[in-house]
Amino acid sequence: MNEPDLKFVDETVQRTGTGPERVLAILQALQSRYGYLPTEALERVCELTEISPASITGVSSFYDQFRLQPAGLYTIRVCIGTACHVKGATQIYDAFRRYLKIAENDDTDRDRIFTVEKVPCLGCCMLAPAIQINDIIFGHLTSQKVPSVLKDFLEEQKVREKEKSKKEIPPVAGQRGEIRVCLDSSCLAGGSGEVFRELKKAVHESAVAAVVKSVGCPGMSYLAPIVEVVRPDTTFRYSCIKPEDARAIVLRHFKPTGTSRKIRTAVSLALDKILTDKTWEPVTRYSMNVRDELVTHFLTRQKHIATEHCGAIDPADIDEYVENDGFSALRKCINESGPEEIIEEIRQSGLRGRGGAGYPAHLKWSAVMDSPSDKKYLICNGDEGDPGAFMDRMLMESYPYRIIEGMTIAAYAVGADEGYFYIRAEYPVAIERMSEAIQKCRRGNLLGDNILGSDFSLNLTIVPGAGAFVCGEETALIASIQGQRGMPSLRPPYPAQSGLWEKPTLINNVETYALLPWIIRNGGKIFSELGTEHSKGTKVFALAGKIARGGLIEVPMGISIKEIVEEIGGGIGSGLAFKAVQIGGPSGGCVPAKLADTPVDYESLNEAGAIMGSGGLVVLDESDCMVDIARYFLEFTQNQSCGKCTFCRIGTRRMLDILERLCTGRGRKGDIEELEHLAVMVKKGSLCGLGKTAPNPVLSTLKYFRDEYEAHINKCCPAGKCRALITYSVTDDCIGCTLCAQNCPADAIAMKPYEKHEIDTDKCIRCGTCKTVCPQDAIEVR
Amino acid sequence: MPKLTIDNLNIEVRAGTTILEAAGLLGIEIPAMCFLSGCKPSTSCMLCVVKIIGKTGLVPACGMKVEDGMLVQTDTQEVAEARRAALELLLSDHIGDCLGPCQVTCPAGMNIPLMIRQIARGGLSGAIETIKKDIALPAVLGRICPAPCEKACRRRAYDQPVAVCLLKRYAADIDLASEQPYLPVCKPSSGMNVAIAGAGPAGLAAAYYLQRKGHQVTCFDENDRAGGMLRYGVDKKLLPETVLDKETSMIFGLGAIFKGDTKIGTDISVQELAVDFDAVFIATGPIQNDDPAWSSLEKGQEGIAINSGNYETSLKGVFAGGDCVGRRKLAVRAAAHGKEAAVSIDQYLSGKPVTGSEKTFNSRIGKLRDDEINNFLRNASDSPREVPARKYDGFEPEQAQREAQRCLDCDCRKPVDCKLRRYATEYGARQNRYKNERRLFTQKAQHPDVIYEPGKCIKCGLCIQIAAEAKERLGLTFIGRGFDVQVAVPFGRSISEGLKKAAAKCVQSCPTGALAFKNT
Repeated sequence: MNEPDLKFVDETVQRTGTGPERVLAILQALQSRYGYLPTEALERVCELTEISPASITGVSSFYDQFRLQPAGLYTIRVCIGTACHVKGATQIYDAFRRYLKIAENDDTDRDRIFTVEKVPCLGCCMLAPAIQINDIIFGHLTSQKVPSVLKDFLEEQKVREKEKSKKEIPPVAGQRGEIRVCLDSSCLAGGSGEVFRELKKAVHESAVAAVVKSVGCPGMSYLAPIVEVVRPDTTFRYSCIKPEDARAIVLRHFKPTGTSRKIRTAVSLALDKILTDKTWEPVTRYSMNVRDELVTHFLTRQKHIATEHCGAIDPADIDEYVENDGFSALRKCINESGPEEIIEEIRQSGLRGRGGAGYPAHLKWSAVMDSPSDKKYLICNGDEGDPGAFMDRMLMESYPYRIIEGMTIAAYAVGADEGYFYIRAEYPVAIERMSEAIQKCRRGNLLGDNILGSDFSLNLTIVPGAGAFVCGEETALIASIQGQRGMPSLRPPYPAQSGLWEKPTLINNVETYALLPWIIRNGGKIFSELGTEHSKGTKVFALAGKIARGGLIEVPMGISIKEIVEEIGGGIGSGLAFKAVQIGGPSGGCVPAKLADTPVDYESLNEAGAIMGSGGLVVLDESDCMVDIARYFLEFTQNQSCGKCTFCRIGTRRMLDILERLCTGRGRKGDIEELEHLAVMVKKGSLCGLGKTAPNPVLSTLKYFRDEYEAHINKCCPAGKCRALITYSVTDDCIGCTLCAQNCPADAIAMKPYEKHEIDTDKCIRCGTCKTVCPQDAIEVR
Repeated sequence: MPKLTIDNLNIEVRAGTTILEAAGLLGIEIPAMCFLSGCKPSTSCMLCVVKIIGKTGLVPACGMKVEDGMLVQTDTQEVAEARRAALELLLSDHIGDCLGPCQVTCPAGMNIPLMIRQIARGGLSGAIETIKKDIALPAVLGRICPAPCEKACRRRAYDQPVAVCLLKRYAADIDLASEQPYLPVCKPSSGMNVAIAGAGPAGLAAAYYLQRKGHQVTCFDENDRAGGMLRYGVDKKLLPETVLDKETSMIFGLGAIFKGDTKIGTDISVQELAVDFDAVFIATGPIQNDDPAWSSLEKGQEGIAINSGNYETSLKGVFAGGDCVGRRKLAVRAAAHGKEAAVSIDQYLSGKPVTGSEKTFNSRIGKLRDDEINNFLRNASDSPREVPARKYDGFEPEQAQREAQRCLDCDCRKPVDCKLRRYATEYGARQNRYKNERRLFTQKAQHPDVIYEPGKCIKCGLCIQIAAEAKERLGLTFIGRGFDVQVAVPFGRSISEGLKKAAAKCVQSCPTGALAFKNT
């Protein structure tokens, strides 16, 4: 390995400053420069700054973002969010490792080209299972697509290298290209004829240098109409195109004279949306800002407050936000109301914190307001890290100004003049958008000194997280901003009394702030008319899993689980029976189908053994194993435990030990009782919310699905999910097509054309590839 | 000033006091490992959890400040259960032996590693004191004991076990041959009289330890000289009578009276002894269950029935041990009975509950894996096991020195100060409750005075705080996160580089044996 160039360290320190709290920022700069943290660089940082060796070692080894060993040239990040998990993320992860022949104790292939990592959630659950390589997201993966994904990615890199082009698809004026449409009969039946005509029309009207051609069928008629845009540099494919999309496709790839960039960007965003729902063989890639859109079906059941004007305004355009009542709530506060009045309005609204615990917002605010101090801070918690939840990501990317307005109102009410916006590192687009929005607000005198001519000032700083789920806990988050390991501390004292730098600090979640402008504009009373007695207003959920229509929804509190699943989500997509809903992620629990009438409010969900949490809602069907779900969440929390207190550090590990035993057929008598006992102990004895809620997925599944646990003790997985407890076999429906044999990555199936195939159970790795490729549905899992 | 109630006791304390401190003022001891007065509470071990009425879950008393009107419970079953769970979780990830496997295996539980270290350092007077704490007749046993301890010796995995038995004999022989052989300090007379029936290994051991406790012992034996099987059942070449005589005379030198030619049942009955003495210990060797001499006592399968925890027979004040309660076969086992029965008898005579010897918690690694033995080999000399020049001989001084250097020092250096062990004993915690595949044992011994065994660390962070306060340039830090978090010196440096000033204070503050002084 070459000696790292330490000049960069000196430059970085010069830029960031030398205070002990700068450690995260410095490490992030070093990580992105070197791809890892060379010891020499860390020692140099200690020489140049007030950061101690103990601090830099402790911090750099705490956060997932940092590597102490060099990584490969590219990093494959396999999403193991809940939605991806139930759709086979582990198989995908294994398939990448297998294909790249990565050694057991390594995460990078021998040629140091690819590093394979698991990430908690990429926030694009409807593409599940999804992965990200550098800045490209690949969705709807299967094990056998792994080779083509890598090939596709490397080809793309070659093109980029050649052109040194930017991330965004660069439309070049005058560039020639082809737009290909299949006009095969089955594609015509799917509507490709009309798409063809619309494309021709669009090309003609925009006078771009492209030819529309009819081509032969690629054989994926269920995705029809399919459009291929072929440019000299690369090819893009779209599926399930509607005639009205034609113009947008033309504009995205071929630059007409006189079209403004703004229109083109809007068009691109719209196109990403059609790309999200369907897949393309062999691979479908998406740009980094692909994400699940709001579900627009059954709009009547939804109520958009945090997501007001969804789909109608440009996220980055401050003028558009202002035109749509933006910052009028802030003006109203500054010009007409005192802090007490604002807090009274919030009290009337009944707003409770949307971060998970549901603490009444006005109480927190009053506590900060009443804490005597010459300095108070405000923090926005954007460290959303629940696997299967990405509401805050969407809010930050789509409504940055609304969040800033909410934060400013809150700061004004509690008397804070300095704010921090802690955003999860895995959300670069959110960080970029929020930074841009803060800049623009500053220029517009909506942030900074003497806001709107008043004597109220607020300076906002963005602090990117570094990959530690526990930093969503407020005391850990504060420690992280202070440049420490994200270890929670005992409350009291609450941040409202002693928070950031031991000053009174208001800390709320993104969604909470996003709701504020609406509440101030419309009045707390109107807000409180929505929802139930103790849970007011609306809640944004990320609806995912085995559901026909997933995505983000904003619904009034009190709506039933059934209404969400059936009316908004369109029921189970697979046609299998609805089994349960996992609500609240790793801190939440599973509500079984028989309790589907449970209204979604804080108290009812608690009673059912789940929690509101930050709003992940994963629908499970009968093919999902509840023991596996519990194991999945425990694996997550165990991995994310900070390691401070005994119950969480070792207790979650011991719970996971038992769950792993159950899922691998090594369960023994007494395991269930011991698991239950441990769950109760960890819940009672853990120091912070992470540990106190970590047992919930176990306790709720034990409560409703104990029989499945008992079955696992008897070495049986009723849902056919736990790999060690199932076997794959070929039924008599086999026609001898050899596809399974060709695709089996473990050589467990011998190729026998026109004969019934057989699976060698000893060699079989239960990856499910044969079942996916079999055209006859002749693979049985037991 | 806030007023609160702890375990139904009211107290008023100044604001800012923690529950732990307030309880202390009331004389209520709340167990704590990670808490150290003067350091910031790290609220990590969670052993100090208490219940606050009205709050869900439990809270750590070390960090929780009192509030006016607080109702605190520290002694409920819920609290005890959680504390035990915390201990059992810590123990499930605790990689270390409290005691050397030799000591655990020794029926008398002698602190063999300490004896060996004392011999290695030439401190023979210390060694004999260590030996006699648990073995009354070491020169005798040093010749005839089959040494189960050596079968457990960790060094066996490398070459030959340390010659524990010969080392013990060496220390005892030197002592016996000295001008002033070791005499323990006996407690002042209690005025109590104890009859011991049988002056074999069990009876003599009991006599020795009861005399030390201040009780007057009279030994009855059917033979005219003390020793029992040691005198009449052992090859004299193996155990010369001179050695036996010298060592038994040490016991009678403490004031015990010997009455020979007195057979129980014939010359005096058990009931008579029970009337004449405050307590009786029967250690006559094997008996016939139908022998009328013992008709007043309930029998078990192989002799007199006893409560195995405290050696009590069915007659009040009468205890029994050794071969008369079942075949022991080993003299050292019989001797162990005598020692343990003495503890029960002392409790009985002092009017205390007769609970027998305290069962202290012992953490065990079990079988060593992979290269774990190498951690220990670094501390020991590589020379082969010493063999005495001739059969029946003991070690020469240089031999004993060399042999003692072979000990791997595989025991914990803080078996007494360790808070984890203390509370595990107190709360009856079991190490194997949450048993799973364990981590590898490692030992970092580069520091001249301090040894660090990460497997024993409970991640309380006290040493990290102390090193930082001492302004150590490198100091210590947490590395990693969650279950795999470790305390280590930054940048992979050694403990000697990390702790240049604060090492001693770190060792003293470490609640377990993770950080310990090398020489104890």
